[in-house]
Parts: sequence; structure tokens; C-alpha cells
Amino acid sequence: MNVRAATVDDLAGMQACNLHNLPENYTMKYYLYHALTWPSLSYVAEDHKGRIVGYILAKMEDLEEQQDGAPPAAEHVPHGHVTSISVLRSYRRLGLAKKLMVQSQEAMANIYHASYVSLHVRKSNRAALSLYRDTLGFTVKDSESKYYADGEDAYAMQLSLKP
Amino acid sequence: MPPAAAPSTPQNRVLPPKDRKAFTELLAQYEARQLTKGRKTADQILKKFPDHGETLCMKGLILVHLGSREEGVELVKKGMKKDLQSHICWHVFALIQKGERNYEEALKSYTQALRFDKDNANILRDAALLQTHLRYFDGLVESRLAILKQRPHVRHNWVALAVAHHLNGDLVEAKKVLEGYERSLKNVPDYDVEYSELLLYHIRILEELGEATEALALLDVNAKSRAIVDRTAIMEYRARLLSSLKSADAMNAWRALIEHNPDCYSYYRGFLSNQEIDLDSITEENRPQALEILRSFSAQLPKANAPRRLALVVATGDEFMALVKQYLSAALVKGIPSLFSDLKSLYRDPQKQKIIEETAEELRERYAAERRPDSSKKSEEPTTYLWTLYYLAQHHSYLSRHSQALSTLEAAIKHTPTLPELYMCKARALKRAGDLYGAAKAMNEARALDGQDRFVNTKCGKYRLRAGLVDEANEVFGMFTKKDAPSPGADLEDMQSWQYLIEEGDAQQRNGKPNLALKKYYAVERIFDQYEEDQYDFHGYSLRKSTLNVYIDLLKWEDQARSHPAFVHAAVAAARIWVALYDDPSIATKIQSEGSPSDTDKKAKKKAKKAAHKDKDQEDSNKKGATGPEDKGLEVPTPKDDDPEGIKLVAVTDPLERAAKLLQRVAGLVPHDVNVCFAVYDVAIRRKKYLQAVQALTRARSVDPEHPGLHIRIVDLRKAVSSLPEPVPSPSGPVLAEALSAILSEEVSLETYNSQYLQQHSTSAAAILASARVSRKLESPRDEVESLLFTALGAEVELSIETALEIISFLREIQSPRVDEFRAACDARFELSTVFKTRDQLAILRKECGGSGDEIEESDKVEVVG
Repeated sequence: MNVRAATVDDLAGMQACNLHNLPENYTMKYYLYHALTWPSLSYVAEDHKGRIVGYILAKMEDLEEQQDGAPPAAEHVPHGHVTSISVLRSYRRLGLAKKLMVQSQEAMANIYHASYVSLHVRKSNRAALSLYRDTLGFTVKDSESKYYADGEDAYAMQLSLKP
Repeated sequence: MPPAAAPSTPQNRVLPPKDRKAFTELLAQYEARQLTKGRKTADQILKKFPDHGETLCMKGLILVHLGSREEGVELVKKGMKKDLQSHICWHVFALIQKGERNYEEALKSYTQALRFDKDNANILRDAALLQTHLRYFDGLVESRLAILKQRPHVRHNWVALAVAHHLNGDLVEAKKVLEGYERSLKNVPDYDVEYSELLLYHIRILEELGEATEALALLDVNAKSRAIVDRTAIMEYRARLLSSLKSADAMNAWRALIEHNPDCYSYYRGFLSNQEIDLDSITEENRPQALEILRSFSAQLPKANAPRRLALVVATGDEFMALVKQYLSAALVKGIPSLFSDLKSLYRDPQKQKIIEETAEELRERYAAERRPDSSKKSEEPTTYLWTLYYLAQHHSYLSRHSQALSTLEAAIKHTPTLPELYMCKARALKRAGDLYGAAKAMNEARALDGQDRFVNTKCGKYRLRAGLVDEANEVFGMFTKKDAPSPGADLEDMQSWQYLIEEGDAQQRNGKPNLALKKYYAVERIFDQYEEDQYDFHGYSLRKSTLNVYIDLLKWEDQARSHPAFVHAAVAAARIWVALYDDPSIATKIQSEGSPSDTDKKAKKKAKKAAHKDKDQEDSNKKGATGPEDKGLEVPTPKDDDPEGIKLVAVTDPLERAAKLLQRVAGLVPHDVNVCFAVYDVAIRRKKYLQAVQALTRARSVDPEHPGLHIRIVDLRKAVSSLPEPVPSPSGPVLAEALSAILSEEVSLETYNSQYLQQHSTSAAAILASARVSRKLESPRDEVESLLFTALGAEVELSIETALEIISFLREIQSPRVDEFRAACDARFELSTVFKTRDQLAILRKECGGSGDEIEESDKVEVVG
């Protein structure tokens, strides 16, 4: 499968891929917000017909977006955040998630000097948890109670980008 | 908004100093969204000066924010009448119109406002955003220039002007503005992402201007100084620019990109094309060289799939055989489920298809032998054998060898009964064979094996929809949609799932519910309206963020977003329904008399009502609990749908106009889509727009001159035009005549034309059907038409399930006594298919896969198999 940086033309395909695969969905505006703020961080995998079979939708955690109680500006370390990553079930075992993640991380570190990348995962989602931890090298940093709209808790995971 | 008073203030606007101060306060309060305070201030002024236009407008604006839209708009209009010379009144009016998404009118109001206050920065800025949104780029350049003259020290104003020139097609001016601006910049901080984006935008403009040398120079200087921070972008621009300059460094630039992302196909394309090798048309001369390049990348990058896969495109004969064997066995050992969909594009070449089949069979035999207990060789995992069977099953199914596919799958399932992929594959094989119920059942088995996985869940719902089991589909969708949504479908619609809407719309249409189908298709239209709307906020945002390259791409995407297959499908399908409703008004009458909703509908309604109630409760508690009044903004809220079943919709008096309106949105974007051409024709001919009709056929003819749908319509048009009581007047008359005779010479009779067409295409069932339809139209006796249709069953004729179903439906249309005979013949011919079963047989099958038996009256309408 072809792995390349996502363009605006890909967003509708990414949205469809996300709806097919994952329970956390977003409207187009949110995809646009990512693309028009951090144009180099999101990547897609496409098949020979140009259909999006996997994607990573990523952003930087900006200062102003820090939640209440966050450390003061001086201590802020820029870091990336994976809003959503997904590969269609029928395209698994190709290592696509890893390839997408590596490209995105490289861009986070290179363009924005991100020191680490974070993401959230449902506590019950063992398959995703194992992908992030075992395949992609993330570690659980924290757990956030009732993170999801339906009341489920999330694990907050991180991966250092420092060499 | 700035204060109002100007030296030449008209009398009716003048306020005594105290009230003038109050008015200034009112403006400030509005800006700070202190809405209740603002309303009080306005009331104070109006007590003494009830006819003060600007105050009336401001109060109206505040009322709209507070949720009293009608009263507010009324006041704004009243205020306008009192003071048509006030830029404040016009500005307020523009804001109201913008909130109604009436952008054209809003822009006109802004233009009026500027007549009375030509330097008002807020108004200029808002007008520029609207001009961008509406693509009035001439006006945009003027607005941006005016803004820049006012505030040349604001950096975004320069960038905005450059973008305006660019959009207006004036790249040279855009370049000049950027150059001037960059020269004026001092002390850009290190690692400034926004500046980096701006430089990349500048380089893009140079590239588009064809000034590759200048572009490369700018790139190199700023890459070296690290002003451009995006390494991937630097490498991509560099490789492209060096290639276009035919530089010797180009090869290394492409190589660096491949090493950076070894699975990006366009980098290999770039590398090869730099050596004059075009991957899409490999020649005998350059094939060895291309293969050598790909082979060396494969060796260098062991984890990359792209060079290996590309080699399969390039290689032929024995070389292909050796490469594909490696590729297949590596993937089978790894158990890669997508192997077949990865390779099937190679099947276009029959020789490659044959080699792949032989290789896969050979591997199956080898792995089977290794599995035997007496085998001394146990090199491969048992799953390798399983994945080989899985591959072969997909292979056979794709080539319409349905029984072979299914028996292969049975063997695989016996080997491993718990792998969802096998049941998903079985479902697909059954679907292709025409057994939609069996397919839905198999997909549900797959789902049951992994209930946590939304992918299988979505597939299961889709397959149920394909089988016409709408309620059952929604039941499974509901396992992953939001629990507090009124229905699973409502959540999917909120999340803009056009895939779901299309599938359900099609299912409803097949189930004989065009009203519900239309609702879904129009929901697709709304999603794309929203996509268009979404860009608005970015007209300002992207300039501030300096993300200009992606912003330009956004505008381009927006301009053709409705060429998306989902939108085209919805528009064509809805247009077909409108045409059917026009042709047969009894369809709408029947839907209206049957208006009594079914039990499940009732349930859904109850739930919706409950949800609405909850919303209201929520609102009430908000009202009580909130400290200040809620700002509801200026956007018109979506009105409640008072026709959720589409019962009123199907009874509208202008079905053709509605169809035309939908088609107008796609016809320009995908002029060469034959389905669009036919839909445009079908609507135009009924609206007696002959010129439009003939143009649609001319376009279709340029794509596929022998298309059966075109054949029917050419005859239809000739008949319609020649039976007109009076010729179409000039200037369209002669144009029509000329276009028509270019398609079909007047000297050829329709009978001759039809028999010639049949002769040329006698082995295509679709052509036979088209010819039969034309015969009937030319008033051939029914038994003659029937016999013609029965030739579609001949052994040498290519007959698909879809066409067979269309023939049955046409036989019904002409009330043929031989319908059942044809149906039974198809049932025998398509062994595995269920779509040709009798009504009673279908009832049983439907029940077996979880559907209720009582809706069976609909199932003889299953007309299309996807």
C-alpha cells in the first residue's frame, strides 16, 4: 500500500475509513482543522485504486490548548498528539500503523520540535492497547476517568521522541 | 463596530450628546456580547427616539442573538427603512443575511455599507471573506488592497493580498507582493513555522510560474539557513525542481526521499521518470533497467513493500513468475489478509492472472502435503495453508467461479472455524453469486466471532441493507453508534456517513419506498453542503496561521467536492426517483394513502419524541441554571424535520425541477459520467428542454457510443423531436437538428437503426434488452419482443444477474405472460442465486437470516444486486 502525507483531497476518505473502523468519529470540520493547522502531520495509506485504507490524524498540543492546571508556559514542552489512527481490518498485518506513525512522528519532531507524542485509548480496547504498547512502543502514563462520551475511562499513553 | 457620527450626519441620525454616548456604549456592549445590557441601552435610546434607525438595527441584532429571531429581523428591517444611508444599518443587515447563509445578499449589503464608510476595516475584512467564499476574486483583490493601504504594518495583510492575486490567477503579482514583503521582514525568530510555511508558499508560486531555477535558489538558501523547517517538504520540492531542471543531482534527491519513506509510490515514480522511465507505459527497451532499479531498492530496503510490488507491474513472463512466487509465499507465510486485493489489479493482464493462479495452486499443494502427518517436512505453519485457501477462494470468486470459491472456503472453515475473515469472504462470494440473504447471514457469523470490531459490524449492516433488511441492519449499526442518539441512523448521519446513507437509500428504493430513499439521498446532499460551508472559517484562519499551500488546496477541493462518487450517486438516484414520480403520480398517491407507519416506525417516532423532549428539558434547565442569557449566535438553527418519512416530499408538484436542481450540481463537475448524462437527459426531455437533452446524449456518446442506455435514448429523442407539432424555433432549433443528425442520420429509419444495433451486440444481454425496449417503443407486437428477450438466455450471451433482473422487470412492465418462465430459467442458470426465487421461497430465506417474514410483499422488488 502507498504511504504518503495526507492532503485535503484525502479527508473524506479518512473520515469514511474512521467511521468504518472506530467508535470515535468526527465531522469534516475537525479533519479540516487538523489539516489547515498542522498540514504535515497526518498521513494516509491507500490501495491501488486510491481508496484510503489507513490513516493517522495528528496534531500538536499547543500552549493555549493546555487544560486548566497545566504547568505554566515556561515549563511547556511542545508535544504531538495522535487524535486518531486506524487501519481497515482487511489491511492489517502489513505494518501500516507503524509506518504511518513513524512518518508522523518524524514530522512532529522535525517541524515542531516535539519531545514526545501522546494519545488516548479506551481501557477496554485491548487490541489497540497492544498495538500502541507492543508494536509502537508507547507506555501508559496516566489514566483519565470518564474521558469518553459514554463514560468509559482512557489510558493516556506517551512515546518519547528524544533520540 | 466603530462609532457612527460623521461630519455630514443626516438629521434623523443625530442624537443629543448624552444619547450619542449611550449609542457608543451600545456598540461596545454588543462587541463584548453583553447582550441584556445592550438591549437595555437600546431601549433607553428608543424611548426618546423611537425612529432612530441605527439603534433599531442594533436592538434587532441583539434580539437575534438572544434567540428572538423573528422579532429581531423585523426590527432590523424597520431600522433599515429609517436610515438607508447608515453603514451600521447595512452592516447589521449583512450580518443577519450571513447568518442565514445568504452570502450573495450579504456581500451586496457589505458593499452598500462600504459606500457610506469606505475605510471601515471590519466591513472590508468581512467583505473579503465573503468574496473569497463566493470566488469573486476581482473584488477580493480590491478589498485586500484597501485593507493593506490602511494597515501596511500588519504582516497578514501582505500575505492576504498575495493570496488574492494568486486566486485571481495573477501569479506574477502574487510573487511581487511576497518578495516585497519578505524584504521588509526583520528579525524572524528561529524555527518560525509560520514563516517556513510562507516561504514554501512562495516557492510553490515560483514553481507554478515555471521559474524552477528561482524556486530552487529560494529553497536552497532558506533550507540551509533553516528558515524552512519542514524537511520532507524541502526534499520533495528539491527532487521535483531538480528533475524539471534536468539536474544531475535529481537522482540523489529522489533516492533520499525513497530512503525517507520507502513505501511512497510517487517517490519511485519520480526516481524512474527522472531516468525517462514511465511506470505506466514500460517499453521492451527500458523494462530491464526499471526492474534492475526496483530490485536494487528491494535489496536495500528489506521492510519496504513498494519496490517489490512495483516490480510485479514491470516484470513479465518468467521474471514475473519468479517474483510473484516470492511475493505470494512471503505474504502467505505472514498471513496477510489483503494479499488478494493487493494483487487483483494485476489480473488485467490475462497472462499474469494465469501465472498467479498456477503459483497459488502449486503453493496450496505444497502446503497441503506438508500438513500430512507422515510428512517429514514441517517447514510452514499450518496457518500458511489456511491463508492460501483464503487467497484462492477470493481468486475464484473474483473470476465468478462461485461454487469453487465456496467449496474452498468450506475447507478453510473446517480447518479453522473461528477466523472472521473466512466468513467475511464467504459473505462476499455469496453476494457475488446472487445469494444476498446467505451473504448477510455469513457476514453476521463473522460479526459474532468478533463483536468488538466495528469494521465487521459495519460490513454486517451493509450486507443486511443489500438484502433489504433495513431494520435488522440498523439493529447492528446501533451497537456502535451513540446511545443517546434518536436512532443509529441519526448518529451516522450526524457523523456525515454518506456511505451509510447511500446504502440505506438504495435499500429503501429496492424495497419500494422511494419516499424514504429520497430522504437519505437528500441527507447526502446536506453533508456536502456542510462540507462547502466548512471552508468559511478557514478563509481568515489560514491567513493568520500562514498555512497557505494547504489552504489553496482546500479551495480547489471545495470547488469540486461534489464530484465525489457518493454525491454523484445520490444525485442520480434521487433524480431517477423524481422522474419515476413524475411519470406515475399513482406512486405518490399510494405512499400517502399507506401513510400509516409500520410498528417499527412508530417505535422510532416515540423514541424521537422522547429525545426531543429531553432536548427541551435540557434547554429549560439551561435557561434556569445559566447566569446570563444564552448567546444563540446569528446562524439560523436547523428547522425541525416535520416530514421524516418523506410522505409530503413525494407529493410535491415540481419533481422534475427538483431533479434538475440536483443534477445541475454535478453535471458540470463530472460531464463524462454516463449515468449523469442519462439522468440529465431523462429530466430534460420531460421538461421539453431538447437542446439540453441532445447535449447530454452527445456527451454520453463521446464516452461510450455503444452503451445500451444511450441506444434507447437516441431513439426516444428522435421520436420526441419528430413528433413535435411545430419545429423548435431558432436559434436552438437548427442546433438541435444538427446535433441530432450527427448522432443518428435522418436517412436511417429507427427500425433499421435498432436491428443494426442488435446485430452488432447480439451476445450482450444488456444490448438485447435495450433493443427490445426500442422494439416495444416502435410498437412491435409483444410476443416478438418476448422472443427477443428470451435470446438473452442463450449460451453464447453474456448475462449478469443485474441484467436478468432488469429483463424480468421489463417483462412485467409489458405485462408479459412469460415472466415466470424467464424467472425460472434464471433461477436454474444462476444456481446459487436467491434473487430469482418465488415469493414464498424468499419469505423462508428472509426469515432464516433473521428478517421478519411479513414484509415479504416487498421482496419481489429486489431489483439490483450490487
